[in-house]
Amino acid sequence: MIKQSKGVYYGKKILLFILSVFLLSAAVFFISRLAPGDPLVSYYGDRAERMSFQERQWAEEKLGLTDSLPVQYIRWLGRAFQGDFGISYKYKRDVTEVIGERVGNTLILGGIGFLLIFGLALLLGVFCALHEEQLTDRIICRIGIVTSCIPEFWLSLLLILIFAVNLKWLPSGGAYTVGGAGEMGDRIRHLILPLLAVVTGHLWYYAYMIRNRILEETRADYVLLARSKGVKKSSILLKHCLRNALPSYFSIMAISVPHILGGTYMIEMVFSYPGIGTLAYESARYKDYNLLMVLCMLSGIGVILCSMAAQIINERIDPRIRNNPIMEGMEEG
Amino acid sequence: MKEQFAIVGIIPASEKERVQKRKWYQGKPVFPMVFLALIIAGCFACDLIMTKDPAYLDLKNFNVAPNREFLFGTDSMGRDIFSMIWYGGRTSLVIGIVATALSAAVGIIFGALSGSMPEWADGVLMRFTEILLSVPGLLLVVFLQAILGKANVLSISFVIGITSWMSIAKVVRTEVRELRTREYVIVSKCMGGGFFHILWKHLTPNFISAIMFMVILNIRNAIVAESALSFMGLGLPVEEISWGSMLSLSENALLTNAWWIILIPGMFLLITLVCVTDLGNYLRRRFNRKESNL
Amino acid sequence: MAKLLEVNHLSITIGTAKGEVQAVRDVSFSLSAGETLAIVGESGCGKSVMCKGIARLLPPSARIRSGSISIKGEEITQYGEKDMRRLRGKRFSMIFQDPMTSLNPTMTIGTQIGEAVKVQEPWISRGELEERVIELMELVGIENPRERRRMYPCHLSGGMRQRSVIAIALAGNPELLIGDEPTTALDVRIQAQILELFREIQKKRNTGLILVTHDMGVVARAADRVAVMYAGKIVETGTVEEIFYDPRHPYTQGLLQSLPWFSRGKDTLYAIPGMPPTLIDPPKGDAFACRNVQALQIDYEEEPPMFPVTDTHFAATWLLDKRAPKIPAVFSGEEGGKRKKIQGDILLNVEHLTCFFPLTKKTLVRAVEDVSFQIRKGEIFGLVGESGCGKSTLARCIMNICKPQGGKITMNGVDVWDPKSYARNRKMLQRERQLIFQDSDSSLNPHMKVWDIITEPMKIQGMTSPRGSLRAEAAFQMHYVGLDPAYLEQYPTELSGGQRQRVAIARALVTEPELLVADEPLASLDVSIQAQIVNLFRHLQQEHGFSFLFIAHDLTMVAFLCDRVGVMHQGRLVEVASTEELFSNPRHPYTKALLAAAAVPDPRQGTARRKNQ
Repeated sequence: MIKQSKGVYYGKKILLFILSVFLLSAAVFFISRLAPGDPLVSYYGDRAERMSFQERQWAEEKLGLTDSLPVQYIRWLGRAFQGDFGISYKYKRDVTEVIGERVGNTLILGGIGFLLIFGLALLLGVFCALHEEQLTDRIICRIGIVTSCIPEFWLSLLLILIFAVNLKWLPSGGAYTVGGAGEMGDRIRHLILPLLAVVTGHLWYYAYMIRNRILEETRADYVLLARSKGVKKSSILLKHCLRNALPSYFSIMAISVPHILGGTYMIEMVFSYPGIGTLAYESARYKDYNLLMVLCMLSGIGVILCSMAAQIINERIDPRIRNNPIMEGMEEG
Repeated sequence: MKEQFAIVGIIPASEKERVQKRKWYQGKPVFPMVFLALIIAGCFACDLIMTKDPAYLDLKNFNVAPNREFLFGTDSMGRDIFSMIWYGGRTSLVIGIVATALSAAVGIIFGALSGSMPEWADGVLMRFTEILLSVPGLLLVVFLQAILGKANVLSISFVIGITSWMSIAKVVRTEVRELRTREYVIVSKCMGGGFFHILWKHLTPNFISAIMFMVILNIRNAIVAESALSFMGLGLPVEEISWGSMLSLSENALLTNAWWIILIPGMFLLITLVCVTDLGNYLRRRFNRKESNL
Repeated sequence: MAKLLEVNHLSITIGTAKGEVQAVRDVSFSLSAGETLAIVGESGCGKSVMCKGIARLLPPSARIRSGSISIKGEEITQYGEKDMRRLRGKRFSMIFQDPMTSLNPTMTIGTQIGEAVKVQEPWISRGELEERVIELMELVGIENPRERRRMYPCHLSGGMRQRSVIAIALAGNPELLIGDEPTTALDVRIQAQILELFREIQKKRNTGLILVTHDMGVVARAADRVAVMYAGKIVETGTVEEIFYDPRHPYTQGLLQSLPWFSRGKDTLYAIPGMPPTLIDPPKGDAFACRNVQALQIDYEEEPPMFPVTDTHFAATWLLDKRAPKIPAVFSGEEGGKRKKIQGDILLNVEHLTCFFPLTKKTLVRAVEDVSFQIRKGEIFGLVGESGCGKSTLARCIMNICKPQGGKITMNGVDVWDPKSYARNRKMLQRERQLIFQDSDSSLNPHMKVWDIITEPMKIQGMTSPRGSLRAEAAFQMHYVGLDPAYLEQYPTELSGGQRQRVAIARALVTEPELLVADEPLASLDVSIQAQIVNLFRHLQQEHGFSFLFIAHDLTMVAFLCDRVGVMHQGRLVEVASTEELFSNPRHPYTKALLAAAAVPDPRQGTARRKNQ
């Protein structure tokens, strides 16, 4: 094995990252422009339908829609490098500005949600694996399956119905009380219900996954050897099985970023939470190209970064991912 | 006593019929199966069950809480929820099944193709599915639905189906990669078995059990996706009754605290989903069964 | 003084979907310190379950029904997990079959050995722990322990891995080692080294060893005493010499006789008829009766007790009863004349064959390098070598699966890798060459019925059966390979290993090929079943004139079956000779080493060799 220096290793990773982002931007750009639909509608609203031919042409030229697609793309790319991502057709403001206002809110909701899911799923999965097929495990599994089946939007509605409408404990929507912005407690109170919806909706899927992966590992032979050493069952589970189950958990969690993000978008809508979810939904529906582009890039970059992080961590844990096995596979081909 | 020690040689043991101690239903998900059968039967035979015309707008009785006449109450447009549930369930189930059939077909073909191609082509196809997977699914659906315009049952099934085949394709591809090295496939190749012979005879029967539970769970996901789309106002219009479009009225119901409009269709949806999930998990467990060493 | 291990009337059952399997039935034995007890038996006889039962490492579905186990007088049958943990590692340790899977792939060897030490001495300091790990690695013969301990299992060879497993087992200085087929997954030469290592450790530490194996050669080489298990019971126990030279139970006799070693120079092997019974509902009386041509009436009625032969030798057979008729043990294969030299035309000609695999972008593996040999019509050509020597790759090249980078393979004068001549003779090549693999879950498609599997080649080739329907053809072929046509409608999972292998052979025969390439067809089969299959091959050769390329790692089997043998080592064919010549006068040092390492099922020879070393 030729050992790579750390610099080369990370250099390669960064190159790969740049390439992926580049490809992603091209893909989103071309797909969104090739799709039928009238972007002018999102800029001018209903007025677009009443425009004369000349007016349309003038408008399209103004928005840079008359050039061929590759030219448009290159122009977009050039401006993007200078930090100019164009304006949102709908909001008539810089895309970065529109997103900037709201991205923080989504990051708080999605980020905290993701971390909670990540941690709690791990705890719950390990707990269930420790008590495999015992009563506690069965009860948790049952509850888990039911909660994982609840559609997110419906759960959000139920939460609002119970805690906001009937019990009046918590606010039914928004990120903060209008007028009294900035207070910590107020923000947290607004965060509880959406967070609950995000976490409950996703938690079990991952907990069940890690539970099953760990239990799969307990079927391996090395568990028997560890037991015959005299190691405690619980420490075999935590030291050996969990360690071997983690790589696939990390990979799955990384791939799941868009999934959880998508769920967050939905929940933002129900709670009328001012995040980028509503923006994404509107931009896709009304062809707000520049906005859509940046939003897709943002989630794409998130996914790519997470996958890379997962890969780096996994290579630390499992030597088999790091380098191809040399000893085996020759005979069996 | 003497005969006991005579040489008699091999006496073939009489084939004893082993009594099957376990009943056929043991270990099978009985409750989910029964519930699901009831719901499916009820939805497809809705004409026999419905007490009212589900589309009739009874403007005198809107937002009526459940009572004797309107078993599950009426919605804000005065339609009878009890009748709508069965009638709309049919639409939801059809969407679930059509979308899943589409996604399974695309997934199997794509996966089998990718799995049997040379390594570089396989790599390209798999990167492609990964890119699709990295876009939030809902965004993709919203986007496609916006392209297709006004939704109907078929278009919505199409959109859901075409955006949910990736995970099936990945599993099929991994299975095919693995199966390709199995000895019986190699032997079959040596005997001159062509691609389609091997695909049909050797690969399909073997990976079908691996994806069966995913297919079942895809039905669930499709039903959820339909209801979510309709809820956002992108799916079926309110006039076309499905569980999703019924729930799209629930935001208004929040204001009037009409819990039955939110709760009852949702409960039906939930029960169906849980039953389908149980069925899927049963298939998954049957697929890999091994005992713990711990 | 109490014996190291005493097991009395132990019975273990395992719950399965089909019913409760009585895996171990009323087993008693004992072991003294420093002694090696080999437990032999075929797969499914309960030997492995028994060992795990003693160590209490059984899966949850298994239960100890009755009996007692005591270690050094300490009764452990009722012990819970906590008490057992105290004993594990210190009183006894286990070593498992496959070192590949029994080590945790994501932890370094050093950490895993260290963990075992730490269990015994939780307060050990870091430096001391390191010293102990290195000491242990040196003890089991791992060189450069200071560097190796930072390596992961996937970086080590099979022998090194098994040594690490042994180091782990020795960490707590146990008085008893239980080896569950510890050498089965290893190559002959490594196998010999590991057995030698056991000897050394026993000498140094006076450890008792239970060696579970199916290989009579290993038994002869390593054991002091032997217990033969059949259908969950110990049917005979005695010292090695007693078992090998004076077997009393018909099963032991049959087991020994079915080894090729005992039929040298004969045409067929002795094969025990039938198959072991299922233990869900074990037969009354002597479980072996239904496979014993000389079974007594009482064998079907009453279970035989253990009759003493000498102080150390016991056997559970009614033949030892006073009232039993005296039957001389007449087990032997058919006598044959001296083997004829085969002078047929050349069927397959391999010339300077070379085949590489790219391992990484820069390194190549030379799987096969400059190999040349011929197979004549009607000949069985044996190819022997350790795993990874390229013998399977060679078979794949011959079967047009792996493309060779150089050299030429001609069959019946047709160059099989020349695209033009291949295209012209495609049908002929596909029919005349057939492949048989080692029996495994993947050798037959689990979703096809037996008749469908057997007639698959006919369907692919569009051939019509001379016997009318395809089903009739399948039934005919099954009869031909000695399989009951009643299995026609069954799935492979419902058959036993030997039956599955017969199905695979029937499938290969259906197009009436000239050349059968058999890649380790006997590996993973039990001794008595191996004998049946070998006899089938012999029959096919002699009566029907099939030619074989027979690939194996088992020298004795090759010596028995093949006319000529080629020895492969690291991709090269180091020696080709007629069987007699190769075994009586090996030329290449590698062949010599291989022959020396082969475990011969003859304890006297084994001890003699051991003393010489």
